[in-house]
Amino acid sequence: MIYDIGHLILLTSLVLAVCGILAGFWGGHRRNTRLIQSSYNAVYAVAALVTGATAILWYGLLTDAFHLSYVWNHSERALSAFYKFSALWGGQAGSLLFWCMILSVYSAVVAFSNRNRHLVLMPYVNAMLLVSSLFFLTLLVFATDPFKRVGFLPPDGQGLNPLLQNFWMIIHPVMLYLGYVGMAVPFAFAVGALVSKRLDNEWVHTVRRWTLIPWMFLSAGIIMGSQWAYMELGWGGYWAWDPVENASFLPWLTGTAFLHSIIIQEQRGILKVWNVVLIWLTYFLVILGTFTTRSGIIESVHSFARSDVGPYFLVYLVLILFGFLWLLFDRLPLLRGEHTIDSYASREAAFLANNWLFAGIAFATLWGTFFPMFSEILTGERISVAAPFFNKVNGPLFLLLLLLMGAAPLLGWRHTSLAAFRKQFTFPLVAAGGVALLVFVFAPSLYPIIGLAICAFVAATIVQEYVRGVAARRITNGENALLAMVNLWSRNGRRYGGYIVHLGIVMIGVAVIGNEFYQESLNVTLARGERATLGRYELVYNGMASTRQANRIEFDALIDVYNLESGRRISEISPQRNIYDKAPDMPTSEVGLYMNPVEDVYAVLNGWEEGGATATFTLYINPLTLWMWVGGIVLVLGTLIATWPHPTHRRSEAVRSLAYAVGDD
Amino acid sequence: MAERIAPDRAQPASAEAAQARQRSVRAWQSIFVLILLGFVGLLAARLIQTNQSEHRASGEAPPFTMTTFAGETITLASLRGKGVVLNFWASWCAPCRDEAALLEATWRRERENGVVFIGLDYLDQEPAAKAYLAEFDVTYPNGPDLQSAAARRYGIKGVPETFFIDAEGNIQELVIGPVSQAQLDELLDKIRP
Repeated sequence: MIYDIGHLILLTSLVLAVCGILAGFWGGHRRNTRLIQSSYNAVYAVAALVTGATAILWYGLLTDAFHLSYVWNHSERALSAFYKFSALWGGQAGSLLFWCMILSVYSAVVAFSNRNRHLVLMPYVNAMLLVSSLFFLTLLVFATDPFKRVGFLPPDGQGLNPLLQNFWMIIHPVMLYLGYVGMAVPFAFAVGALVSKRLDNEWVHTVRRWTLIPWMFLSAGIIMGSQWAYMELGWGGYWAWDPVENASFLPWLTGTAFLHSIIIQEQRGILKVWNVVLIWLTYFLVILGTFTTRSGIIESVHSFARSDVGPYFLVYLVLILFGFLWLLFDRLPLLRGEHTIDSYASREAAFLANNWLFAGIAFATLWGTFFPMFSEILTGERISVAAPFFNKVNGPLFLLLLLLMGAAPLLGWRHTSLAAFRKQFTFPLVAAGGVALLVFVFAPSLYPIIGLAICAFVAATIVQEYVRGVAARRITNGENALLAMVNLWSRNGRRYGGYIVHLGIVMIGVAVIGNEFYQESLNVTLARGERATLGRYELVYNGMASTRQANRIEFDALIDVYNLESGRRISEISPQRNIYDKAPDMPTSEVGLYMNPVEDVYAVLNGWEEGGATATFTLYINPLTLWMWVGGIVLVLGTLIATWPHPTHRRSEAVRSLAYAVGDD
Repeated sequence: MAERIAPDRAQPASAEAAQARQRSVRAWQSIFVLILLGFVGLLAARLIQTNQSEHRASGEAPPFTMTTFAGETITLASLRGKGVVLNFWASWCAPCRDEAALLEATWRRERENGVVFIGLDYLDQEPAAKAYLAEFDVTYPNGPDLQSAAARRYGIKGVPETFFIDAEGNIQELVIGPVSQAQLDELLDKIRP
């Protein structure tokens, strides 16, 4: 009964979304207040209804309603309540419903917080957000019904995919969805601006925060995914350029480019076409990513079930591609830049180069992801493009990008004088030289020397900016260093938070370089009590232990880690295998890990014989990998600083718009 | 505002220049649209292809080559003219054990009737696989599915999975999970030459 209501609710939301779209576009066009108000109400109502439907499915999962096909396929009695809760996004119909819920809630928050602002833009923004919701509601109502029944009442469910029974794997998709879905908001604003012909900086100002928030979630989601791969999949790495990973990375690339290029539009009034194109691409890549992972057209380790949602996605992709292009081409004359770029030694030129690099990386990644598939269609032969291609092409591009990340903030708008060059670049270049020398002495190898020197350069520019900012405040306001720093964040969080984000990226870069160039590994079979030496460590195998859990058996190998020089016992690690009752053919692994800031000792249990008398391991030393996770946290903190609404924010925005008015930027 | 403004933007040199500019913009737009159309077209083609391969229980059986544990090389093509029962299994797979003896007994019964049984060992270790074969005294050709090549082509969802291929090399039916004697008898009637 209650599940029939769930289906009915989705149908109602669909109808309401259609009404809201019509009201938004028509009301915006006619400036009809009542219609515009209807578009707001439709957004609120859809959010409430879809949340209600989601709650019903959650109720079904938590109460073991196995007569629902979704619950039967993705849950079981022995699952803990937490995993039953998270089974909502463990399968297709549920995750689409979850996605739709996040989107509708985002939309409602956007509509509510802008209810008295951007009166010309908002009706179209509401309508466009509802278009996104409508698409997902169409899927839920017509293609993949989350409330479908099975014809009988099964005694127990078939269990959740074992790979998803892991804490990080629970959080990771949520973060990705929050990031993915949130990109619909800036896109809606861009469409609103194009339709209403309000193509000044109004939408760009508003959209910055609404892009940063999803960007932060997307970044966190990607990092968590890497961490999950690192800790669970057990091949010593964290990123495999797998199509599904690329699907999440592509919108991140274009979204990051967008975040940077809107700064130039704000400051210099150029790149207007580029900006709308970037955010459209971001949204397109989000839908494309969902399409490729949901329709089964790409082979991937992320084995999602295939289904018949493919054609729907394809139609929607065509609609957003060509609908937007038609709109864009029509509005091109209104998108002329107000200036041109004066000098290559200017900040806007560096930002432009940054954008080209992001676009280049995105294109290479897109190419590598889709080329095998297209080559198979056209020639019948599958030419696979593996990790080496991506590393070879994207590695150098990323290094250049890092370099620009350090250099761009040091350049002035419009033009940089030679004196300014000297003042800005001396310390960072010295720091880079020092690190290069240091790496050359300890681990001479060309790429890491260049890479780590560039990382040092960027880190030094950030330190320099902070030191100067703090020193200036100390002199003018007499604040102590700590207070001065906090004030830098609260007065100019955008800039100084941005630097923190950059610092996080540098840490991630350091980790990537360490893992890529200095990893050591060893394959061994050890008898109980036997030892293996790797790097500066000695590992002793102490046998196996097994534990019975509610829905699985855990097998642990016990390994002691000793320091090779001092002979001191540092840690005990236990790589693990889990055999799930409902999916014995899908054992999951958990690596044994001893982390420290210099390197990780990383052990994977491959198999064992005679109850653990001997066991086979792959052992790795992964240098500097810890910094990837630290960098991820720093990145999120930096984004929070950059996004946080400050009490002074309104005032500074007023001041800035005044500056525009008098033409002094 | 003391900005240098590019001359061609402020005032086009002539109407001709403006027209030329307009033409080049149109050309770029068309190229852009064509590229995107191509991309979407390929996606659509792929989608159709994928949906076709979804109908795994019909159409021509994908070719494969295997080397048995005994060292003999067998291709599917070489079995034309015979009915083929292709069984994917693994030594770690509990439900496979339910059907192992049944498959072997049926093979012994049917081998004179132009039917071949083939076992492909999915994601396994050779000693364990050989022990499994010895345990059930399996005599029909069995070999490892190297790099899961066949498993991927046949798009198996797990093990056991059994494909029934007729003498013309077309898949007649597939069974997910262990087969029963009744199923085997019924499906063998479809593929027996």
